[in-house]
Amino acid sequence: MNPKMITTMPDERGHFGEFGGRYVPEMLAPALDELAEAYEKWKNDEQFQQELNDLYRNYSGRPTPLYFAGNLSKQLGGAKIYLKQEGLGQTGAHKINHALGQALLAQKMGKQRIIAETGAGQHGLATATVAAKFGFDCTIYMGEVDVKRQATNVFWMRQLGAKVEVVTEGTKTLKDAVNAALKDWMWNVATTYFLLGSTVGPHPYPTIVRDFQSIVGVETKQQILEQEGRLPDYMIACVGGGSNSMGFFNAFLDETGVQLIGVEAGGKGIIPGGHAARFQGGRLGVVEGYKSYFLQDDDGQVMKTHSVSAGLDYAGVGPQLAYLQQQKRVQFVYATDNEVIEAFRRLARTEGILPALESAHAVAHAIKLAGQLPQDKIIAVNLSGRGDKDIFIVADYLNDQYWKDFCARYSEYGLSGEYDG
Amino acid sequence: MDKIAQTFDRLKAKNEIGLMTHVVIGYPNLKTTAAIVEAMVEAGTDMIELQMPFSDPTADGPTITKANQIALDNGVKMRDCMEMMGRLNEKFNIPFLFMGYFNLIFNYGYGRGNSYGVAKFCRDAIDAGASGLIVPDIPPDEAQEGYLDACQQNNLHPISVISPNISDVRLHKIAKVASGFVYCTSRTGTTGRPEAIEFDWLNTFLTKAKQYIPVPLAVGFSLSKREHLERLRGYADVAVVGSYMIQLFDREGIDGVRRTVRLLKG
Repeated sequence: MNPKMITTMPDERGHFGEFGGRYVPEMLAPALDELAEAYEKWKNDEQFQQELNDLYRNYSGRPTPLYFAGNLSKQLGGAKIYLKQEGLGQTGAHKINHALGQALLAQKMGKQRIIAETGAGQHGLATATVAAKFGFDCTIYMGEVDVKRQATNVFWMRQLGAKVEVVTEGTKTLKDAVNAALKDWMWNVATTYFLLGSTVGPHPYPTIVRDFQSIVGVETKQQILEQEGRLPDYMIACVGGGSNSMGFFNAFLDETGVQLIGVEAGGKGIIPGGHAARFQGGRLGVVEGYKSYFLQDDDGQVMKTHSVSAGLDYAGVGPQLAYLQQQKRVQFVYATDNEVIEAFRRLARTEGILPALESAHAVAHAIKLAGQLPQDKIIAVNLSGRGDKDIFIVADYLNDQYWKDFCARYSEYGLSGEYDG
Repeated sequence: MDKIAQTFDRLKAKNEIGLMTHVVIGYPNLKTTAAIVEAMVEAGTDMIELQMPFSDPTADGPTITKANQIALDNGVKMRDCMEMMGRLNEKFNIPFLFMGYFNLIFNYGYGRGNSYGVAKFCRDAIDAGASGLIVPDIPPDEAQEGYLDACQQNNLHPISVISPNISDVRLHKIAKVASGFVYCTSRTGTTGRPEAIEFDWLNTFLTKAKQYIPVPLAVGFSLSKREHLERLRGYADVAVVGSYMIQLFDREGIDGVRRTVRLLKG
């Protein structure tokens, strides 16, 4: 593979090889043209870059640390594991990176309203946050299933002044939230900026989101050179749509000595409807405006997915990742729900870090890999978010009696004197 | 001459604005879809679009989205869609068009034999008697998918869908590939919702579009009344009534559909 091909991607119509493109109703063409044009204009503008860097640094708290997980590495007895601590930024996940970039772009474009879809709620939270900061009117679309399992993020989004629209169509998860946001955009195409939250959708979104996320990999490169004097042997990131993985990998695509590994959601195992691992049983398709791998039935109907983490519970995958998989530049593996919970607990106890369940997929694979490698190898893991938001899911999964009792008492008495625990 | 061209000739000779109605195949079930179509034909509709249900109908509003979901919950497959197209064409002589999203065509026939995809879909569709295809998410940029070629080779009209916010450059592009007729939405947004349509603004656009586009124009989205058709007379050749037909069926059953198609046809 010619590395130059990768860095200059996509072509001007948004294709990454045979993937990507722009398959949308004609009425969205003017808005996507306007967006592509504005992005081309601003992306290399010095003042725009300065403003964005200032936001990254002083608002979001970049650079995030690259932390050597010494205890975990020692316990596994193999390769050294480094964690890129994206969970330490504003809103607790990497989603803030592309939210800030796109909000700044929306402001330059003169938009007054932003809309977004969200799965785990982290992108919705990041969007609601930047909407509050920039003074945009904001509506977040979220599937009913996700609203139920991520109630805390719904609450915080509303506190930030966003309107949360509950999507009850289809599978009531992320893909349906994307559809609902696209429909809103069709109605309000002149006034509204659609702040898409992953490297998916029609061109130019996969490029815009990747570029605003690429700061993660750029920092990682610099930090690992400072700490180890060389690049890592392996880089591991979880993959839903692809925002954290593309951000982590982008600066390393041409570094062919670095093995890039994407971890998909294996859910309950690779059975139909029981997982969200697109490269295990997915097939080429055209859905939600782009061509890529989708989990679908023989007729091309998009299938139900499952993952313990709402953020990876999505039937499609970013077109550039599909291309990189085809070119064998990124290797894809999966981690099951059980492995993910186990990784979550292990990282908590060895390093005192609670990873988001999405990011715990990457940790789970690092745990599998590290022990098989000699001690002079280096693995860098993108810890894309922190796990506070997952308190209900983890407690439920572990069937924790203390937490169940607390919830029962709380729903009865609130935080009044009845509760003394 | 194909059925679509014949229909437009007939309409033109009578100086009439045509009516295209819409059903979702398998809503509320396959048998009733056929009965609804029969009532529409009897009442004088000029063309019917048969929507193939899809899990992610991005351009459709709540009414049609829900109908898609119910049809899929009923277990409707692409095989059923082809069979329905075949049966209706044996029975009735008006043009039937397949409406649906590109992934259904792109993956058509997967798991059944060696070849699948766009070309196979077009062959089966013309064999079943379809006159054209309305696929909202395959704009001219992605024509390289072989969609236009496959339509042409099989004498199927690939109906382009445009909206009044289209740029002149893209209107030119569409004009070059236009075949059968061009479907123009009355506004931006999704299907359904009884919004007040700004007819003066719309008709100004249609007048402009006519200068570019060498085939007849159909207009759809939010149309439900005879009065709407009257307002479009002279600007559009066909009015499309979609979501409203489903709402009517839900409220008043097949008789309501029949009565309203008669009213719409005047």
